[in-house]
Amino acid sequence: MNVDQLIGRLRGDPAFMQNVTQWKVLPASEGRYADFPPTLDSRIRTVLAGRGVHRLYTHQASSLRAADEGNDFVVVTPTASGKTMCYNLPVLSAILKNPDARALYLFPTKALSADQASELYELIEALKVDVKAYTYDGDTQGAARKAIRQAGHIVVTNPDMLHSNILPNHTKWVKLFENLRYIVIDEIHTYRGVFGSNLANVLRRLIRLCAFYGSKPQFILCSATIANPGELAATLTGREIRIVDNNGAPMGERHFVFYNPPVVNRQLGIRRGVVGETRNIGGMLLSNAIPTIVFAKSRIQVEVLTRYFKEQARDPYGFSGRVRGYRGGYLPSERREIERGLRAGEIDMVVSTNALELGIDIGSLTACVLCGYPGTIASTWQQAGRAGRRKDTALTVMIASSAAIDQYIVGHPEYFLSQSPEHALLAPNNLYVLLSHIKCAAYELPFEDGEAFGNAPDTAQFLDYLADAGILRHVGGRYHWSAEDFPASEISLRSATAENFVIIDISNPAHHRVIGEMDRYTVPMLLHENAIYMHEARQYQVEKLDFDACKAFIRAVDVDYYTDADLNISLAVLDEFKEKTLRNGVGVTLGELKITTIVKIFKKMKLDTHENLGFGPVRVPESDMHTVGVWWTVPESVAASFGNDDLQGALMGITNLLCIVAPLYLMCAPRDIKVLYQVKSPVTDRPTIFLYDQYPGGVGLSEKAYEMQEMLLEHALDIVTYCGCENGCPSCAGPVSEIGENGKANAARILKELIEACQA
Amino acid sequence: MPSLKDKLRMIDAEPRRSEAAHPAPAPSEPFYRRVDRFPLSSFSQLRHMRAPVLREIFDLTLPAGLRPADVLFLDTETTGLSGGAGTLAFQVGLGYLSGGEYVVEQLMIRDYHEEAAMLAEVARLTARFPLLVTFNGRTFDVPLLQNRCLLNRIRPDPFTAQHADVLHAARRVWKLRLGRCTLQRLEQAVLGVSREDDLPGDQVPQTFFRFLQTGDFGPIERVLEHNRQDVVSLAQLFFFLCRLYDQPETACETADLFAMARAMEKRGHTAKAKKCYRLAAREGTRASAFAALAAREKREGRTQRAARLYATMLARGDQPVDACEALAKLYEHQLKSPEQALVYTRQALLLLSEPSLLPGEAVQSRRNALQYRYARLRRILAGEAKQQEDEP
Repeated sequence: MNVDQLIGRLRGDPAFMQNVTQWKVLPASEGRYADFPPTLDSRIRTVLAGRGVHRLYTHQASSLRAADEGNDFVVVTPTASGKTMCYNLPVLSAILKNPDARALYLFPTKALSADQASELYELIEALKVDVKAYTYDGDTQGAARKAIRQAGHIVVTNPDMLHSNILPNHTKWVKLFENLRYIVIDEIHTYRGVFGSNLANVLRRLIRLCAFYGSKPQFILCSATIANPGELAATLTGREIRIVDNNGAPMGERHFVFYNPPVVNRQLGIRRGVVGETRNIGGMLLSNAIPTIVFAKSRIQVEVLTRYFKEQARDPYGFSGRVRGYRGGYLPSERREIERGLRAGEIDMVVSTNALELGIDIGSLTACVLCGYPGTIASTWQQAGRAGRRKDTALTVMIASSAAIDQYIVGHPEYFLSQSPEHALLAPNNLYVLLSHIKCAAYELPFEDGEAFGNAPDTAQFLDYLADAGILRHVGGRYHWSAEDFPASEISLRSATAENFVIIDISNPAHHRVIGEMDRYTVPMLLHENAIYMHEARQYQVEKLDFDACKAFIRAVDVDYYTDADLNISLAVLDEFKEKTLRNGVGVTLGELKITTIVKIFKKMKLDTHENLGFGPVRVPESDMHTVGVWWTVPESVAASFGNDDLQGALMGITNLLCIVAPLYLMCAPRDIKVLYQVKSPVTDRPTIFLYDQYPGGVGLSEKAYEMQEMLLEHALDIVTYCGCENGCPSCAGPVSEIGENGKANAARILKELIEACQA
Repeated sequence: MPSLKDKLRMIDAEPRRSEAAHPAPAPSEPFYRRVDRFPLSSFSQLRHMRAPVLREIFDLTLPAGLRPADVLFLDTETTGLSGGAGTLAFQVGLGYLSGGEYVVEQLMIRDYHEEAAMLAEVARLTARFPLLVTFNGRTFDVPLLQNRCLLNRIRPDPFTAQHADVLHAARRVWKLRLGRCTLQRLEQAVLGVSREDDLPGDQVPQTFFRFLQTGDFGPIERVLEHNRQDVVSLAQLFFFLCRLYDQPETACETADLFAMARAMEKRGHTAKAKKCYRLAAREGTRASAFAALAAREKREGRTQRAARLYATMLARGDQPVDACEALAKLYEHQLKSPEQALVYTRQALLLLSEPSLLPGEAVQSRRNALQYRYARLRRILAGEAKQQEDEP
């Protein structure tokens, strides 16, 4: 069967259709074209014509025009719409006109840079001109580096390399900085949160150095579809950005199926497992040889599913190369080979983590199976976009897991379909981030009196602070770097703190191996001494936690219990940025919080029965984090109408609901934020619910939550109102055992009060 | 509510500060300068510094009329070793010969704003000399100063003179004997100088930062002293190398001669290389020098000489297996005497079968090669014998 026949069969199959909550058909769209603009170099035109390209898609033509007019712009179009041409054409055109011109390409990962560079080489080779494009990253050989610095027209790299290598050694890159014409940044939607906040500052440093060398490069950015590409691009670059989104690429008919596995135990509300269902549906596609990509959420799932599908696909000779797994941790050469196999059509099915969500060229597949909701609307569309050729029908099946978010999405497909994708949020002026990058910038070039660091506020105060601290020296109207350190090495762009703990397996005394990493805020909870730590479905016990050296030593064990640490959180308000006292005395505040966490004891819980088997002490230092948070206070008039237990249940219910809802709106992982309640908060003296960024200094999530609080609260109320359960379940306010008999109703009541107060 | 500065203080490290003491000498120039003169009595004779000698040591082509006074010696003290844009040379020591003395001029900034003026002076001085001599300056000092010039917009690049890096030349001669070749190590082992109360190099940056904060010039004197000694040692080492290459017979250690010979052979100065090998053909390096000389003679087609040298080695028991194997090759290929080749191959195999100090694997692979040769020679000889039978 081809995909059209298969779609027909599935729609006629009642056993399948009873699990489908929505079958959405997105109609095909015609291509829209525009002529080559006259400014495009004729040699490029000839090469394109040689490849059968005689016109451009409308968004490609608009990009060229925007580039010609000297605008900074962001291209926002779906996967496989010919986005790379939007930057390769203006860049090559500029270099052909002026061989001194230079361009810098930034991709979020090494794999992507390698992939995009090879596409660029092909084009340059076809042009038969002397344009040198190189990838410059950790894998680049020492000898080649010198040549690239001197002669590379197009330098393809990643933000980390720019940050730690190119910028601090800018004097070796004089040619590049003096002649930098374009900065191309692809996949900008990946630069949110900490990574985005860091990149925005790396770009401030880059622009600052360009100004020193007398160049003023233009930005060309590309983004997947998110709610705020223009805002994101503007925040990243500190410039006004034109949006190019008149997508002209044609698209075949697309089917999007929401599939909820059938209930197998009605009493407990247990559904069939998502992996098993993925195996069935993926297997059906595989047996029909329909090119398919399966997205799983963890590396383990990828491995398990790959094994299932390989078993199914094995030919009589035992060969199962038609099915491949793909995830981080595979060797680069292996990944390249899989990508090539996909493009060449030699592979029928690939099972991947979100590693293949980014724009690595794997050609286009026909079907996509999502094993669980990917977590955000934007990333769901990205993954679904991997299926769909320009003319043919494409099928995406999203299989819900039992997680609360998944159940909400599959239960409310109309919400998913009507909602614009999430906002990508970042906070370039986060104090920690900004301070670190001002140090780096001062290392690279002394600050002049009165000089601002991009559009960052209060640069002078940062400089004076650093001068007081003896790190900068203020003399002769300038702030000079005055320390031996290399500040760029103290920041990791991708996480809030550079100090991650490494987890070392010492089960085999002859061969200690590092099996993972964990950020220092999570360590006291999961890696305290005697904790049972799970890794790849195996149990380990933490034997020693060396807090100063940032190392945890674990040993494989086989026990019938797990551990659960009691986290004590205390909050203090450091500053209030915004505050509203709403009707009925409801208060909502956005401000800076000091979060002090300490773990003192852990519980041993029996597997399966969850019986408490005893306690143990935890000896880890208290840890402090300064971050941004938003908090709601419930007025005494409302609180008074509840008994103490009821009030606690209601607050816990709201907390659980916000944990589900907030990540949906804030485009973040559930662990990026923390929601908690205090029945009588020492901070506000009233019942209070706090939501804060789980990153030092905050990354903009709480600000957004403050802005859209009414929407968040309404959405939480929606969930609790429309949930089919009686008194609460894990998909809404929480199980009755936690929130009490009246918890669900009371949570709804307080939510209504809060919403009414907002609307007034 | 706390101010921004208070917040920064809360999230960041402790400030570093301390008290002031001795102030820096009063300024008379836009940067600090100190000039010292040293008698040349402690230097090797300067006449050995000739263009052909420099060519042998540094592989540089210099005008024949180059005089010792045309050489500028340079060494810097920096705020760190990272080599990025934020590291600077706060002190530059420059040495040159003038009026029968060795003059060391030390330029130093008393604060960052003096850097541009100091660099301009460094640029002015370097422009006067056709040859620059440093210790590891090729990868460190010169690129660093070039960075700083660029940042201070001093253009064009003042470092265009020929550049002799003594570190690389010294490594070629002394690495074999001394291992690590730091300037201090060479000073001690080669020049016989020992420093007293020298400031360790890794304390230099912190000493400067402390001076900036406290204004106490005392500790800086130690940095200057350290740098001055470096600039003097650098010149002494340079002239020592010149004499050593010009008159290898003055060398006291055969290991140095052998290392020099190898270096010169690599560069194609074969006559000089052979001279050094001959000088090195005693004591610990006797065997290696003979082997190298023999290989040289063989490469130059003087087979008989090579054979004699190998025979001498064998007679003395110097690397006898190597000697036998080399003789076997000579007799088989050049001297066309398979019988003789077979004799030496058999002897080599015999020597190898003795319990030896060589590691098992190495012995095994050599034995395999020799047995292969042995079998081939036997075949050749058998073939010749058969031919002789057939012919009459």
